[in-house]
Amino acid sequence: MDRRAKKKLAGLILIILLAAAGGMKAGSFLPVIGSHQTPANTYLSGYYIENAMEHTHAANIVTAVLADYRGFDTLFETCVLFLSGIATLMVLFSKAKVKDRRAKEEPEEPVLPGEDERGRGGSILDTSFRIIVPIVMIYGIYVLFHGELSLGGGFQAGALIASAYLMDRIAPGFETRMGEIKEENMLIVAGLGTFLYAFTGILPMLFGGKFLEYEKLPFGNLVKGGAAGLHGAGILMIEIGVTICVMSVIMTILEVVLERTEFDDD
Amino acid sequence: MTEMIERVEFFLADRGIYMLTFVMLAIGIYGMVVCSSYMKKLMCMNILQVSIIFFFLTFGQKEGSTLPVAVSQTVEAEQYINPLPHALMLTAIVVSLGVTGVGLALLMKIRDIYGTIEEDEITGKGGGR
Repeated sequence: MDRRAKKKLAGLILIILLAAAGGMKAGSFLPVIGSHQTPANTYLSGYYIENAMEHTHAANIVTAVLADYRGFDTLFETCVLFLSGIATLMVLFSKAKVKDRRAKEEPEEPVLPGEDERGRGGSILDTSFRIIVPIVMIYGIYVLFHGELSLGGGFQAGALIASAYLMDRIAPGFETRMGEIKEENMLIVAGLGTFLYAFTGILPMLFGGKFLEYEKLPFGNLVKGGAAGLHGAGILMIEIGVTICVMSVIMTILEVVLERTEFDDD
Repeated sequence: MTEMIERVEFFLADRGIYMLTFVMLAIGIYGMVVCSSYMKKLMCMNILQVSIIFFFLTFGQKEGSTLPVAVSQTVEAEQYINPLPHALMLTAIVVSLGVTGVGLALLMKIRDIYGTIEEDEITGKGGGR
């Protein structure tokens, strides 16, 4: 260990001790964890908890806050994610210097027992991913549709479905792969998801309501339960939009990063 | 002696988690300042974000309360934990995902132009590796 690393380690230990001391000092005037009387737990949150069921007909109060009370904020949250996908693609889109670099030549690897020409993964990865990927995708869709009733929601479902694609993309030797998806197309899909959210907001305005006023959605004949059914339909629509956006942006970032790592001088 | 241990246990259960989030915050900031590799700086920024998310989530806790999913029509505020930090931090996680993606893209661009992501080698200062 050279001097520089020693200095860094000493600094790290010092900073941890200082932060621990600062945390103890801050703990003396910050509220007690688990108390019912803290400022965060008294004024506003009680109102949300007690009235969410009546106002939004959504059993999951986090979803009620996210998709109904603060639906406008979540719309632009989705837009931020979409913009980050655009930024990722635009930063790496100009490939001026790439053409000078040599693409990696696939080395001729000897075929070991237990594997074949499909890839290096062998039968264990092949079998386990064949079992895991469909379960993860089904679970993602379950989480999406349960966002309103129980634990779940659009962001989590998007991350789950994208992780299924990630496993499929990264694991070698997966025989029935879904295939590569071009990142430009994925970004278009992400834009469509964001548009679905905004469209759900605009639709009630065409029928005499306000932005994101789910009771004025024109699905009165399709869903049962009156206002509760319409609220459920509206929340489900924006959750689907969020899911599509999150899934596509994660897949875009993954594809961009994977595509750029296939050069041998990296 | 036992009294002291009891006090320490009480402190950790009451407010000790603040100490841990502060330590994580300090590690994140220290790493962002000290590390010379931009990749490590990005990792430290993620640690910092996680510490802030934990810090907010501690405010949502209520003793003896359950998850914020209403099981009946009549709802008492005492029954359920505070849903607002959870809703806020869900969006914070999404923003941190976007920031990490853009940061990775910028790192790859830096690597393309300079051939390295070490700060010392790019600026020409320091002793190098």
